[in-house]
Order: sequence, then C-alpha cells, then structure tokens
Amino acid sequence: MARIELNDVSLTFRVRPNKHMTLKEFVLKQMFRKPTQPVMEVNALRSVSFTVEQGERIGLIGHNGAGKSTMLKVLAGVYQPTSGRRIVEGRICSLFDISLGFEPEANGWDNIAYRSYLQGETPRTIRNKIQEIAEFSELGDFLNMPVRYYSAGMLVRLAFSIATAIEPEVLLVDEVLGAGDLAFQTKARQRMRELMERAHLIVMVSHDLMSMEELCDRIVWMDHGRVHRIGPSREIVAAYEQAAQPATSQAA
Amino acid sequence: MGGYSSAIWRCRYFWLSLVKMDLHARYRGSVLGMGWSLLQPIAMTMIFCVVFSQIFHEDATEYAPFVLTGLAFWAYTQFCILNGCLCFFQGESYIRQYPAPMAIYPLRTVLGAAFHLVLALGVSVVLAIITLHTFHLGALLTLVPTLLLLLMFGWGLSLLGGLATVFFRDTKHLAEVGLQIVFYLTPIMYRPRLLQHERLAWLLEWNPLMPFLSLLRCVIVEGHVPSPILFARAIIIVGVLLSLSIYALSRLERKIIFYL
Repeated sequence: MARIELNDVSLTFRVRPNKHMTLKEFVLKQMFRKPTQPVMEVNALRSVSFTVEQGERIGLIGHNGAGKSTMLKVLAGVYQPTSGRRIVEGRICSLFDISLGFEPEANGWDNIAYRSYLQGETPRTIRNKIQEIAEFSELGDFLNMPVRYYSAGMLVRLAFSIATAIEPEVLLVDEVLGAGDLAFQTKARQRMRELMERAHLIVMVSHDLMSMEELCDRIVWMDHGRVHRIGPSREIVAAYEQAAQPATSQAA
Repeated sequence: MGGYSSAIWRCRYFWLSLVKMDLHARYRGSVLGMGWSLLQPIAMTMIFCVVFSQIFHEDATEYAPFVLTGLAFWAYTQFCILNGCLCFFQGESYIRQYPAPMAIYPLRTVLGAAFHLVLALGVSVVLAIITLHTFHLGALLTLVPTLLLLLMFGWGLSLLGGLATVFFRDTKHLAEVGLQIVFYLTPIMYRPRLLQHERLAWLLEWNPLMPFLSLLRCVIVEGHVPSPILFARAIIIVGVLLSLSIYALSRLERKIIFYL
C-alpha cells in the first residue's frame, strides 16, 4: 500500500553567506566574543500539508525556487523536515540528481551494481536485471571502461537505465527527460510511461504544463514554500497559466 | 538503535561493494599490489631498526616486530581519523539521493583500513615467529577480539572525524597536526619503559591508544595472552568513544546534508 502524508511540514535551510565555518574561526570568535558569521535562514517549505493516496498522480508546479524540488527531497527522505511529520509508505524510487553518484574509477558494470544495491537490490535479484540494464543503456563495450571516461550523455543513459529498472511503489520524478540524444529520449519517454503505469503513486515536478495536465490527477501549486492551491489538474493549470500571463505580457 | 543497526545491515551489499572497490583501487587487484602497499611500514621499520640499534643499542631481532606492530596500529588509527574526515564528502552524491544511514560512510573507511591492518599485523606475526620464535596459538586467538575492538574504535574515530569536518572544514588539517604530536607521545618507535619513570608516567597511563598497542604487542612480540585488565581498559575506551559517536550522530545525522 503506497501512501504519502505530510502534516504541517516546514524546512528551513541555514546558509552561511561566506562559505564554510572553520574551527579556527569559531574558536577565535568565541574567545573574543565576536559574533560568528551571520546565518541566513531560508524557509524552503512552510507548513505544507497534504495527503496522497494509493493510485494518485500528483504534479508539483510553481516558479523557480518555490520549493518543488525541496519537496521531492523531503518526500524521498533525503531532507528531514525541520518541523512537522512526513509519512511515506511504500518502496520509493526517486528520479532526481540521477547523474550524480557514480564511482569514477569503477567501470559501468560495477557502478550498476553499487547503485542497485543502494536501491535495495541483493546479488540474487540483481543478476537478472544487470543484463537488462546494460541493454537498455545501449552502452555496450563502454560498460567495461571506468565511468570517468564517459560523456555527460552516457552517464545520464546509465543513470536512467539503473534508476528505472526497479519496481517502484512511490515514484518521485524531477524533470529528467531531457536526457541523452534524441533516440534515447524517445526510449526514455516510453520507459517513463511504463513506469508510471506500474507505480502505485507518483509525485512529479515539471514545467511542461501540457503533459502535467494530461498525466496528473491533482496538482499542487507551490509558491514561496507554501501550498498556494491544490486541486484537479485542469483547474489548477488554468489558474496557473492565467496568473503567469499578465507577468509575461508585461515583460514582453 | 535496533532499527538503525538493521538499516545498516539492509544496505550491506552497498557498503561492502564500495569497500571492495576501494581495496581493489588500492591494491590494483593483485598480490603484488598488497606487497606494494606494505612497503611503507616495512621500509620505516628497517630505518628505525638501523637507527635504534646504532643509537640505543636495541637488539634488532626483537625490535623489528615491536616497531612493525606499532606502525601497523598507528597507520590504522591515522587512516581512520584522516580519511574518516572525508567520509561524508566521499559519499556526498549518494547522500544527496538516498536516505541511507549515515554510519555506513565511516564504516566504509574503517573496513578498508582494517583490511590493511590485518595484512600488516600478519607480516608482524610472521616476522616475530621467525626472529623470536614466539608462537602461541592461544595468544594469537586473542587477536580476534582485539581486532573487533579496534574496528569499533576506528568506526568511532572516523565518524567523529567525519562529523567534525562537515561542520568545521579545517578539522582534517588540525587532526594532522594533532596526530603528529600524538605520534611522538605514544611509544610506537620507542619502548614504553622510556616513559615509565620520571614525571612522564602519566602520559602512558592516560594515553587512550596504549591499551590497544599493549594488547597487540603482548601477543605478537611477547607471545603470551594479555591480561584481562588490558582488555577491560580497551573496552572502556571503545565504550566511551562509541557512546560519544552515537550521541553525536543522533544529534547531527539529519543536518549533515545541509552542510555538505
């Protein structure tokens, strides 16, 4: 049973404007009772509450910096909320930052294994999948080469093939489809569609309003870390487009 | 606690394969590579042997396993602390994608170091058996609990080093300076008895590395079973260090990602 429940979730980043603190600086400032570097607080999410039930597809829209990606990371459990409660039931598959997290010195095959283990596979379950992942990535002999020598596009191919090879219950997607060359993009879209059919619950972030309206049942419109509106996708997309219109025409 | 340990266990394939990869990279997948990486402690031992047998009139046959054991232990401690400082940065891209328990990243560091420690101690044991004929199976078996204690000890050190570096970036630099000092305060290349009299005895009493060093040397160099008091001391030190690590981790684990 897949289910998401966010209850009054807030997340505050504490950012130091001048790079990182050193121990030397800390001790000296403490000794002379000078204030340490000021900390800027960024309220990335402010008391967000919503529930997603099994079978639902949710889209997140909003301006850049509205908190969409942060929200996905909270859902994935990568960021812990500063306050409030996050409940996510079901096996999570997250498709964001996927081209990160390779061991540069290891070859493609090994990297497939590391990534899959992290996603909860075991040597037994991986045996059947590894061939399938390799085939989907179409990297062929390159898989015997250290990942260090891969081009950005090849890395994305590999990452996408691994990340989408699992059976997800909760699928979290952050606009990953602009990946690889044209042929691979078509394939990736196809795979995403299959994945979405199998997943029990989806939360996705995209700026492509057309496909969002088509794919999602409900849409959450985020603004400055808050849930601005939440409702049926057609209604919210229409309202969002309307809100964006005057601003764009003024700019033009 | 139980839940956390089982989370570590659940992703065992992940960290074990990373350890394997680290070792592979270090030894280039060959037996010769292993010998290569042992060259450094062996060369150091030879230098110390020549110098100490000339200046302090040490008997080189007894001194060689003594100093090799000390150096093996020292290299382990140093590696755990210094590479531990980097452990969360090393795993940053994984941390950014998956909510795996943070303790696995220092664990990766420690397991790599422990493998090397076992190799180096193996050379010490063989050397001691050849030069000193100190073969005592019962005593050698006590190396198993000692190594387990050292594993916990190293895990704690790496974890604390890693956490400190995430919040204060100059920790590694300071640790390097600190380790330099500790190296000379700890009887690694000289005999503990040099500190035993005079006003320096407290240095031995309070040095948290001493129980481990004594446990190893007692078995390898002297060839007898160490006294339970030594074990008790080592257990207390590991206990204190681990409590500290667990406390720090429970307070800071969720914040790590925001400081990377």
